[in-house]
Amino acid sequence: MLEISHVDVYYGDLQALWDVSLTIGDGEIVTLVGSNGAGKSTILKTISGLLKPKTGSISFDGMCLDKLPAHRIAGLGISMVPEGRRLFPQMSVLENLEMGASRRVARRVRHNTIGWIYELFPVLRQRAKQEANTLSGGEQQMLAIGRALMSHPKLLMIDEMSLGLSPLLVQEISRVIKDINKSRRIAVFLVEQDVNMALSIADRGYIVENGRIQGQGTARALLGSDRIKEAYLGISPAGKGS
Amino acid sequence: MENVIQTIAYGIVIGALYGLIGLGLGLIMGIMKFLNIAHGTFIMLGGYVSFWLFTLWGIDPYLTIPLVIVAMFLIGLLLYKLTLSPLLKLPHIGMRISNSLLITFGVIYVLDNAMTLVWKADVRTIIASYRGEALNLFGTRVPYTGLAGLGIAVLATVTLYFILSRTYFGKHVRAATQDAEAASLCGVNVQKTYLISCGIATALAGIAGVVIVSSYSVTPTGGLSWLLIGIVVMVLAGEGNINAILPAGIILGLVESASVFVVPIQYRQAIALLIFIIVLMFRPQGLFTKRG
Repeated sequence: MLEISHVDVYYGDLQALWDVSLTIGDGEIVTLVGSNGAGKSTILKTISGLLKPKTGSISFDGMCLDKLPAHRIAGLGISMVPEGRRLFPQMSVLENLEMGASRRVARRVRHNTIGWIYELFPVLRQRAKQEANTLSGGEQQMLAIGRALMSHPKLLMIDEMSLGLSPLLVQEISRVIKDINKSRRIAVFLVEQDVNMALSIADRGYIVENGRIQGQGTARALLGSDRIKEAYLGISPAGKGS
Repeated sequence: MENVIQTIAYGIVIGALYGLIGLGLGLIMGIMKFLNIAHGTFIMLGGYVSFWLFTLWGIDPYLTIPLVIVAMFLIGLLLYKLTLSPLLKLPHIGMRISNSLLITFGVIYVLDNAMTLVWKADVRTIIASYRGEALNLFGTRVPYTGLAGLGIAVLATVTLYFILSRTYFGKHVRAATQDAEAASLCGVNVQKTYLISCGIATALAGIAGVVIVSSYSVTPTGGLSWLLIGIVVMVLAGEGNINAILPAGIILGLVESASVFVVPIQYRQAIALLIFIIVLMFRPQGLFTKRG
């Protein structure tokens, strides 16, 4: 469904991504793991059109995204939950959700969609009239995901979902993500520092380091690999422990 | 006592016009962080368009408003496309104010000279049949043109409030103002909301121009003093606080007209600038904004 091939991305003169290639299939949950500054968010921003690749190309359902502005890419069915949630702070919860349905098609069915979001995250219904900046961190993350779902995306990308949330909330939200993936066949691209959580709900994963894809595999294989255990889970491989 | 009521009436009427002037200026500043100092010049242009329609076809100045809105809206689109949109490429949002100031300063020169070519440097005004007549309310005289200006300012403010709070376009504008990048991720064409907002702001300048040409007068360079008033109103209201602009305008009008009790009348204009300085010193966030 989504195919990135040999993409180089620059911030001005600074190269941030080197020859990145990855694919996300229909209804898959794929995760991108890597340390701070490895280029995970850059990859997401490039897919969503906020950054443009210098070389290489990105296609979605056979459509080339290279030249499209961000709002057009969002219109094709790629939704992003940006790092730090980026809600509209002085708009109500309801208005934030409505903003997610800016596409005409989504706008027509928005009342039903809002009902569905409220089922997924019941607390948002109670907060409907409140301004987004009065919500707690967990509620904000739920609203950000809800807003992204309002457009009925085929691909949902989430940047650092677990950042600043309690383990219980992370569990709750990842359960919802797993659920919408199963019930609505929405593909999910998860960028996470919580590698354990990400790999536990994902089908496949990519490892990114220094702006390059350094490894990939099924989530199960990655969870078992020494490299992941050592670098991200803080577990020393057997026999080499100190 | 009658004197006081007359002063209040005058203050409200002129203050409503001040609010109308600040509305378009505050809209562009609030949404895009551009300071359009050609706003006063666009007011003059709107006045000239109305003047033309009145002299050529004898259309009542207030009935020219729909035509002025359309003409000025289109000019606003041009203003955005030709001069303001390139500024969005600036790396920091803070650089927009100073750069838009420079660019719209150039726009003033071009328009000033164009207007002088077309309409000469003469003072132009519309003397409609009811000009100079006034409504007499228990001894307080309110000119009909002033009443019309008040009504138009209130209508414009309410309409703008309605557009921004109730329509999808308004929601897009507010979202783009609060976080342009997040708005584009939601599928909002931020450039397009900017373009249309710029058209609306320029149309608002045109409406103010109609009020001015039928109660006062227009000249090619007459926009500057109205622009100053608009900037003072915008600062009083607080940046981006569009709903507070009409009240801020009326406060300024009231203070200004009440000042004649304290200082000679020729200092009236200085009062606005004095208030401007005091507000910037003690309440730079504006009179109506709670958060500092």
